[in-house]
Amino acid sequence: MMNHLKRWKKNLSLRKKINIAIHIEGILITVISIFMFFSSRAILSKLNFIEDFDNINFSFLEMRKSEKNYFLYHDVNALKEVLKIGEKEYNLLINSKEEFMSKLGKKDYIMLLAILDKYLNTAKKIVNISSNADSNYLELTKNLREFGHHLTQFSIFLRNIQHKKVNKLVHQNAITLFIGLGIILVSQLLLWQYFFISLSKRLLKIESLTKEVANGNFHKVVTNVERIDEDEIGLLMKGIIHMANELEKREEQLIQAKKLASLGVLVSGVAHEIGNPLNNIFMLTEGYLSYYDSLEDEQKKIFMRDVREQAKRIKKIVRKLLNFSRQKKFEFNLVSPIEVVEKSIALVNNQIKVSNIKVHRLIDSNLPFIKVDVDQIQQVIVNLFINAIHAMPKGGDIFVEIRVSEDRTKVIIKVRDTGVGIKPEILPHIFDPFFTTKGTKGTGLGLSVSYGIIKQHNGKISVKTEVNKGTTFIIELPAHLENNLEEEKHA
Amino acid sequence: MPKKIIVIDDEEIVCRMTKMVLTKEGYEVETFTHSRKALQRIKENKFDLVITDLKMEDVDGMDILRETNKLYPNTKVIMITAYATLDTAIEALRGHVFDFFPKPIKIEELKKSVKESIGTP
Repeated sequence: MMNHLKRWKKNLSLRKKINIAIHIEGILITVISIFMFFSSRAILSKLNFIEDFDNINFSFLEMRKSEKNYFLYHDVNALKEVLKIGEKEYNLLINSKEEFMSKLGKKDYIMLLAILDKYLNTAKKIVNISSNADSNYLELTKNLREFGHHLTQFSIFLRNIQHKKVNKLVHQNAITLFIGLGIILVSQLLLWQYFFISLSKRLLKIESLTKEVANGNFHKVVTNVERIDEDEIGLLMKGIIHMANELEKREEQLIQAKKLASLGVLVSGVAHEIGNPLNNIFMLTEGYLSYYDSLEDEQKKIFMRDVREQAKRIKKIVRKLLNFSRQKKFEFNLVSPIEVVEKSIALVNNQIKVSNIKVHRLIDSNLPFIKVDVDQIQQVIVNLFINAIHAMPKGGDIFVEIRVSEDRTKVIIKVRDTGVGIKPEILPHIFDPFFTTKGTKGTGLGLSVSYGIIKQHNGKISVKTEVNKGTTFIIELPAHLENNLEEEKHA
Repeated sequence: MPKKIIVIDDEEIVCRMTKMVLTKEGYEVETFTHSRKALQRIKENKFDLVITDLKMEDVDGMDILRETNKLYPNTKVIMITAYATLDTAIEALRGHVFDFFPKPIKIEELKKSVKESIGTP
């Protein structure tokens, strides 16, 4: 049932939700207003009744006054006045029987009527006797006083009950109004919370999603959304995710196309790389055979040694090719990025010194760890250093920066040189396999292998360059999350 | 006076073997693995034949060909290349190369081509 309700709620559009909220609010206000209307009417009719009842009370007091006059002056007319007033009120009580019975309650009504009846009967008897000498006279007068007292006491008591009832109603009204207004206020607050806080939260989420798309982190967009409602914002989110999905697919296709393109470069590169030593072997062996008779033993040895050197050259190329293509199993370890960089610098330290180059370090404090294959990352950094050294034949500076990204999710390693820079026309090819500017001295595999290694670490390698000013290679590696580190420490 | 040949290739063995073959034939041979130095040498000295690799660092085979044609219209040029694409061949022939050798170079063919271009030493 709850799930059903939740799903129903999820599938409502934003417009419908606002509509429903406004209707509920309206119904609530109407119900409270109707209640207040009827309750006010009830109070008014009670107050009217109390007024009527006060008149009766007043008549009873008049009766008692005449009764007192009778006892003071023994004037029968005073008693007759009592009877006149009493019978008038008695008739009123009988005639409006329904109203009094409903307001006072049946029991109290009958009681009041009975006391009045007894009082009036007693008064009648006294009028009929009209002689003080009668033996019943004393008792009757005593009864008259007693019933009169009862009558006024009881009627005041009844009036007070009515008064209390009105008080209670007014009080109830105030409480109902208070609770009703409270409910409206709370529902307003909830609506505010929903429409402004939850809505703005989701809009902010959309903003962050579009930023991720802009940054090319399509996968993050696709995996980062845990809940999608069926309303307008949900549809917008779905649209963005669909777009990110499509863009990711397109990017993959683009990468595939690039790979195919670099395969072409690879094939012609292999042909060229192997072609040269192969030609050398061909020439050497042909020369060896042609001039065999005229060659001295020592010369023959030199020929064979040269052939072996050229064969070694081919072997070296083949090995590098294999390294390039093989999906080597990486061994990931948790290390400090500083350690990896320092170890790499140590490996090229001699070349740096000889080349008249100074290394400057710019390192953030409190760097997170990285989980990497140390040998592979070292290979990448060493490769960047060697490129930097080659870019500065007359010496210069290498700036090594190790930083953590603002959200602490990435460690950024920058290697900047003050060398010749990379020409714009060759910049698109620097990560292609076998692309080299070093002629026969380079294999053109360094950066393409580096690219592969960083990719395997879910990282990024990019380059910024300015001709004759220098080149910066930027490596981004995912930082190992600190709380994970804590957990691992505990484990 | 033997005829003079300059051989330019960044592969040292190509230079050495060509020199050996042609010296034995009786020619006077100079070799260069640095094309810029070779170009300098060509500017200083007239050769009867230039044998050059096409793809080289710094100054490439087409630069050598252009410079030679400009300085010594009678000097013949033989081009060697590992990249025997149609485009480079057309370009080289337009630049009046005498012969065009794809690698690997066959010694006998080289000897024959040299003899055809500048005759016996």
